Formats: sequence, structure tokens, C-alpha cells
Amino acid sequence: MLNVTQLTKIFGQTKAVSDATFEVGLGELICLLGPSGCGKSTLLRMIAGLTPADGGQIAIDGQDMTARQANRRPTAMVFQSHALWNHMSVAQNVSFGLRVQGLPKAVIADKVAAALTLVGLDGFAKRRPTELSGGQAQRVALARCLVVEPKVLLMDEPFSALDAHLRANLREELKSLQRRLQLTTIFVTHDQEEAMELADRIVVMHAGVIEQIGPPGELYLNPQTLTVARFIGQMNEATVTLCGGRADWLGQPVSIAAPDGLVTLLCRPEDMHPGSAGIPGRIARVIDLGPMLRVSVATAEGATLTWLCSRDVNPQPGAAIRLRAARLLAFHDGRRIGTAQPLMELRQMESVTP
Amino acid sequence: MSILRRAPLGGILLLSVMAVLMVGPILTVVVWAFAEKWRYPNLLPTVWGLKYWYVMLGRDTVINPIVTSIALTTVATSLAALICWPAAYAFARLRFPGRQVFLFSFVAAQAVPKFALFVSIAVVFLRLDLIGTFWGVVFVQMLSAMLVMIWIPAAAFRGIPPALEEAGFDLGASRLRVFLLITLPQAMPALAASYVLAYVGILFEVDSALLIGAPQITTMPLVLLSSASQVIVQEAAVLCVMIWVPCFAVLLLTRRFMSSKGIAQGFGA
Amino acid sequence: MTIAKPLASGAKAPGAFLEQAAGLALIAAPMALLITLILLPTVAMIWGTLQVPSDSGAQFGLGRYQAFFADAYSMANLRYTLFQTLASCATALTLSLGIALYLRFSEGRIATMIHALSLFPLFVPSVVISYALVRFLGPNGLLQLLLEQVGFTHYRTPYLTPVGPYIAFVWENLPLPVLVLGAGLSQVSDHAIEAARDLGAKAPRILVEILLPQVRRSLLIAFALIFLGVIGSFTVPYLLGPPAPEMLGVFMQRTLGNLRRPEEAQVQAVMLMLMASVVSGFYIATMLQSERGRR
Repeated sequence: MLNVTQLTKIFGQTKAVSDATFEVGLGELICLLGPSGCGKSTLLRMIAGLTPADGGQIAIDGQDMTARQANRRPTAMVFQSHALWNHMSVAQNVSFGLRVQGLPKAVIADKVAAALTLVGLDGFAKRRPTELSGGQAQRVALARCLVVEPKVLLMDEPFSALDAHLRANLREELKSLQRRLQLTTIFVTHDQEEAMELADRIVVMHAGVIEQIGPPGELYLNPQTLTVARFIGQMNEATVTLCGGRADWLGQPVSIAAPDGLVTLLCRPEDMHPGSAGIPGRIARVIDLGPMLRVSVATAEGATLTWLCSRDVNPQPGAAIRLRAARLLAFHDGRRIGTAQPLMELRQMESVTP
Repeated sequence: MSILRRAPLGGILLLSVMAVLMVGPILTVVVWAFAEKWRYPNLLPTVWGLKYWYVMLGRDTVINPIVTSIALTTVATSLAALICWPAAYAFARLRFPGRQVFLFSFVAAQAVPKFALFVSIAVVFLRLDLIGTFWGVVFVQMLSAMLVMIWIPAAAFRGIPPALEEAGFDLGASRLRVFLLITLPQAMPALAASYVLAYVGILFEVDSALLIGAPQITTMPLVLLSSASQVIVQEAAVLCVMIWVPCFAVLLLTRRFMSSKGIAQGFGA
Repeated sequence: MTIAKPLASGAKAPGAFLEQAAGLALIAAPMALLITLILLPTVAMIWGTLQVPSDSGAQFGLGRYQAFFADAYSMANLRYTLFQTLASCATALTLSLGIALYLRFSEGRIATMIHALSLFPLFVPSVVISYALVRFLGPNGLLQLLLEQVGFTHYRTPYLTPVGPYIAFVWENLPLPVLVLGAGLSQVSDHAIEAARDLGAKAPRILVEILLPQVRRSLLIAFALIFLGVIGSFTVPYLLGPPAPEMLGVFMQRTLGNLRRPEEAQVQAVMLMLMASVVSGFYIATMLQSERGRR
């Protein structure tokens, strides 16, 4: 449905977006995810046509859009600041796109009513934007876009100004709405939780470059770059020296099929397991997250490991513990090179333990 | 934070002094406008009445200049709005070569003493036979309006979040439509305020009317000027109250739409 | 007619050229007005004043200016204008600073009313206040009446003396500095002042060492604005001032309108511009500075 090829944007000396390439299928919701300044909003604006591209192509439904102005593209954008016009009523806001097309009044009225119902704002037609709450305003902004039946819906961090609860609710509503309408959607966010919840696929960006594209689970389990690995979820991290295919990760011997050199090894907190064989350490802190417990463990070598465990484990601060990394992801030069295999033999460290 | 909170008496004193000095003179005029007989040493008029209102309104030499003034001012202010508001939009929103320089030249023009400017224009107009003509006065009066008509609207346009215009553009409107349906209504309060401010300024302008308009074109402020030194005090007072008080009322209404900060910034603060 | 475009970034797309063309087209009309009514006549005037009549036609020279400087009456007017302007500036600035300082550190209804009163002159045209002051300050005016009510019978009216216009100038020029200084003072945070007080500084020291330096720029701008406004003033000195010496504004009008001597009026105008140019230069330089800083 949407094809972005080598899209580039240069501001002065910096490349805000570098050769971005991806496609979005019909009815898919993809998230552009990344920290502030990574170029995701710029990329979205180029797709919308609000920011002219310095290179590359955009095609929607097979038609080349690159040269087209924003008002001629079959896209509609929901802005971060809702951008409602307070000199118009809700109905006038929503009907704007249709009025521009010159549709008959009766048709417009029907469509506006339908759109408002869709976003759960029946009867809000005569209200003014100043009378609306943040969440209601964003719904009107969404209705304003839906009513023109765009081929691609673009959303630029639309919920970031709302409180957490409201955000979660709107997210769910958006997802079910999007599925129902089979509306191709691109959603920009810096919140990885939001991306994980909403997206069919996530495009992770960093410093203008697309790092990885994939379904949420895939990105979580198999990050292809260090940035992706660090950005999504938490990690225990250490850089080790690989020699002859073997290395020592914080006291745990591992083997990696890779040439000698510096390798960064990452392990997810929930992939750490307690046991009789493992890295020795002492429980420093137990943070109660509600459904899980996050435990900080100080190792003998002075590192801190984060371990996510269930409540019935009942770890006690100060207790001695041994943790084993069940799954270690290996990265060299920022790129994923494989998975490290933990070795079964144990290094005897007790004599060095203070 | 209020260092002076400990001395409210000082504040009341300042307020009283200022009230007398700031409002006193105007109050005098207002009282005179409704006085039929006010002789020294009475503190208040001995006879109140609207006699001089009828006198002034009945006089052709008063009514005609008022009509002329209103015609001149309306044409000048409206023309100024027509050419300055789009320019204000350009300065606020568009990027074009020399933008800073051009904007700056408006500030620089403000730094020239107006009267000297009018003399130079008068000499040129003398040669072009434009002295005493309607359009000669209009063009000169437009000059006075220009700064207000560019600065305040530009600040207003700049204050409109770009997302508002982009949203309209994104939904299919042409740029002209975005300007007419979104930008203009959003900026309208400030635009209206700048219009009123410019209007009143031009209405009461003496310098240009005197140098360029006289003697064929007589404007209301010129009548005021000449009647200010007349023996019959009430005549000028009536003119003041008749014309200025409504202006003042309208100006007060539009004050809401002009931030003091915006005005101060317009002068470079 | 208008091609209004949302702010576009990047200068490579063809839309950028359109934006530049549109921008220039939109500002063309007011710029044309500026050039034809301000730039060209001023240049023409300066050129004209340098044409000295002689037997062999007009020659280039400073003869007219020499005549001006030689004329005692003209010089007296020049000095009077400068003096009047500087005196009014100083007084207006001092009073405005006082009011602005008071407003900065007070809240409540009294402060609001004082603020409103200090901005009142913005809405009163020159001709109205001049006439009003004639009635207020003049012989048998309201002020005299009020003073006599409290027993003061030695009132000498400033009407037709230099003090008359002086009072009017100060009155007229209170709002602008209050606005400008107010904006400058509000940029000094309460914390900065509290920190100074915490360290033992008393009010005068806070004023001199902390507040005034911050508002130095605002003071300069306010001074420039008042100066440029007063120096070319006509209505106020015409209605309130003495017949001699005259401020240059009145002098020019009489020379041009009554005496019908445009060449002399031009010389006077250029003299006025020269006097103002020092301050104008200041003002423009300060504005340039702030524009650069803002970018």
C-alpha cells in the first residue's frame, strides 16, 4: 500500500533522515519508534508532504507521490497538539476536509455524524474546541481525519500530551478502530510500550537511520543492533574480550562463534535464572513492580545485574544468590553477531569473593 | 514578590497623584463640552447644557472637515491594511531573500523624525502638484499606519501554531483557502485591533494634514487646532468629546487583543 | 491574490522558489511606499539643501547650512529644541522608571489601576492632550481653580512658556517607557533579587547593581523612542509653547507653510534629522544587535 524508498532529509549539515526504506501493507499499523531527534517525525512529515524530501520516493497504492503537495496526497495527519481550530465548532472542524471537496451539505452532515460516533463523541457536534478535554480534542482530530477516508492515516505522537490512563484507553480504542476500518496507519512514538501495544510492525529509528523493522516480539527477542536492544526493554550489559571463541561474562564462561575481539553481551532481566550454578552475588534491592519484582544483584566483580522474577520467588535483600544468564545476545560494533552459549562448567570464584 | 507591600500608603498616594494628573486635563475638556457658562472662579460650570453641540453640528466649517477626515482616514487605513497585512504574513511565515533587511528597514523608517520626513515629502509634492489633494494626504497618512499595520499583524500571524495551517493543508485545502479559512480568522482579533489603532492615529494626525493637505484639504484635527486658541472654549471641547471619546471607547475594547509585550517587542524591547 | 503557504523547510523543492517569489511579491507594495515616500524624498531633500544658488546657476556647497548657522534666531530654535527634548526625555524616563519599578514589585488593585493610568496617554492623540492641557494648566484653568480651593493663589501658568510643552511631552511619553521598561524588568527574575537580599543587599544597591544593568537596553530603546518623538513635535509646542524660541517643528511649519520658503525649511529638516541621527543610529544598532541575538 505504502512504499518508502531511500527517503532522505538534510537540514544544514545533518542528515535528519538517511535513506529510509520500508513498506506498509494494507490495513497494517506500523510504528515509527525512536528517541527524540531520531528523525521519525520528519519521516512522517515527508510522507504527509508537509516537509519536502531531499531524496527518495514515496508511493501510495502504486502511484508516485513524491512530487505531490500535501493537500493532494491521500494521507491525513493527526498532530501532537490536536491542532483544532478554535474559531470553528467541532462539526465545522470535522467537516473541513469535506467542505473543501465541495460535497453537498446533507452528505457532509451525515459523514460528520458518523465520524463522531466512530470516535465516541456523539452529540459533540455543536461544541467548541475550547470546551473539550485533551482526550476529546484528540478524538475530534482523529474524526477530522477519518471523515475524509484517507488511504494512509498518519499520527504524530498524538497521545503524548495526555496522562497515562487516558493514553492507554485511547490506544486500545485506536487499535480496535483501525482494525475494524482496515485503515493503513503510521504511528510515531518515543514510548516503546506504546509501540509494542499498537504496532503490527515497528520501525526503530536512531539518528536518522532505520535500525530494524519487525513485529514487536521479533524486535524484543532478536534485536539486530545494540540501539534496538537497548531501546526496547531492559538489558544487562557487559563488554567482554573474545579469545578463541570463549569469553567470560561477569563471571560466567560463554562461547561464541565469532572472531576474536571486543563483543558486547546483553541479557534480558527475565532471562536470568537463579540456581546452584551461576554468577555469585548478593541481592541489593528488591523493587516491587506489582505483577513482577525487579531485583538488583551486586556481583562479586562489582557489576550490578537486574533480574526480573515472579512474586513467589520472594527474594530477600542481603541474601546471597547465584544467577545464570540463559540467553545472551552478542553484538560486535553495534550489530548482532549471534547468540552466546553459556558453558556448563563453573569458574570457582569463592576464593576471590570479599 | 512585593517589596512595597509594606507601604500601601505610598501606592495610594501615587495613584491619587497620577489620577489627578493623567485624567485631570481630559476631565476638564469633558466638563467644558457640557458647559454653557463657566466663569472663573467657579469650580464647576454655572450653566450646563448642550448648546455648543448644536452650534458645532450646525456649522459647515465643522461638519465638512469631519466628513473629510473620516473619508481620508477610512481610505488610508483600509488601503494600508490591504497592502500591509499580506506583507505582515510574508514576514511572519515565509522565507525569502532579504527578509531581515526589509523588515529592518521598517524599523529604521521609524527612527526618522516624522516632521522632517513630512517636510521632505511636502517639497516633493509641491513640485508634483500633489499638495492639497485628497490622494496626496492619503498616501502620506498611510505611512503613519504602516508600522502598526505590519508589526502587530506579523506578531499575530507568528503566534498561530503552524500545525493549525498544516492541518488544513493536509486535509486538502489550497494555500489560499488555508489563509482565508484558518489563518485570517485566527489572527482577526489582532488585525482588527491594529486597524483601530491605526485608524485613530490617522484620524487625529495634524502634522501631515497641515503640511500636505492645507489649504484645500481641511481635516478635523486642524479645526481642533485652530479652535483651541479661540475665545469660545467650548467649541474645541465639544469637538474633542464628540470625536475622541468614541475612539477611546473602541480602543479600550480592542486593548484585549494587543499584548503589551507584543507592542513593546515591536519597538525592540 | 495572496499565496499563503505554511512554513516550509528545506530549499531544494520547487515549492521553495515559489515561496520566495510569493514573499517578495507580498512585501512589494509597502516597500514601494517606503521607498517612494521616505527614501527618495529624503535623499532628494538632502541633495536639494546642498544646492547653493549663485549667479552661474545652482552650485554644490554648504552655503545654505552656513546661512542657518549664522542666523541667531535659527540657532536659538535649535538649542531650544535640543534642550526641551533632552529635558523631557530625562524626566519622562525617570518617572516611567519609577512607575515601572513600582509595578514590578507590587500586586493588587492599586497596581493595576496605576498600570492602566500610566498607559492612558497611549490612547490620547497629541492634539487632544495639548488642548486639554491648555484648559487644565492655562490661566483660570482647572489646576488654578483647584489650587485656589486649597488656598494657593500664586499660580503662574506654564501656558506659553517652555514649561507648558515640557509637561505635555512628559505626559505623552509616560506609557511607552513604562511598557518597554516593564518588559525589561520582568526579565529579571524574582529569584535573582531574593538572592541579593539574602546576601544583605538593600534596595538602592539592588536597584543600581542588579536591576538597572538588566534594563540598560530597555532604557536606551525607551530614550531613543521618546527623543525621536519629541524632537520633531509640532502640535504640542504650537499650542502650549512660547512664540519664541520655537521648536524646530513649529519653525519648519511656519517657514514652509506661512513664509513659503521651502529651501530654508529643507535645511531645518535636515538639521533635525542630523540631530536625531545620533540617537537613530543608536536605536538601529541596538535593534540590529537584538535581531542577531534572536537568530
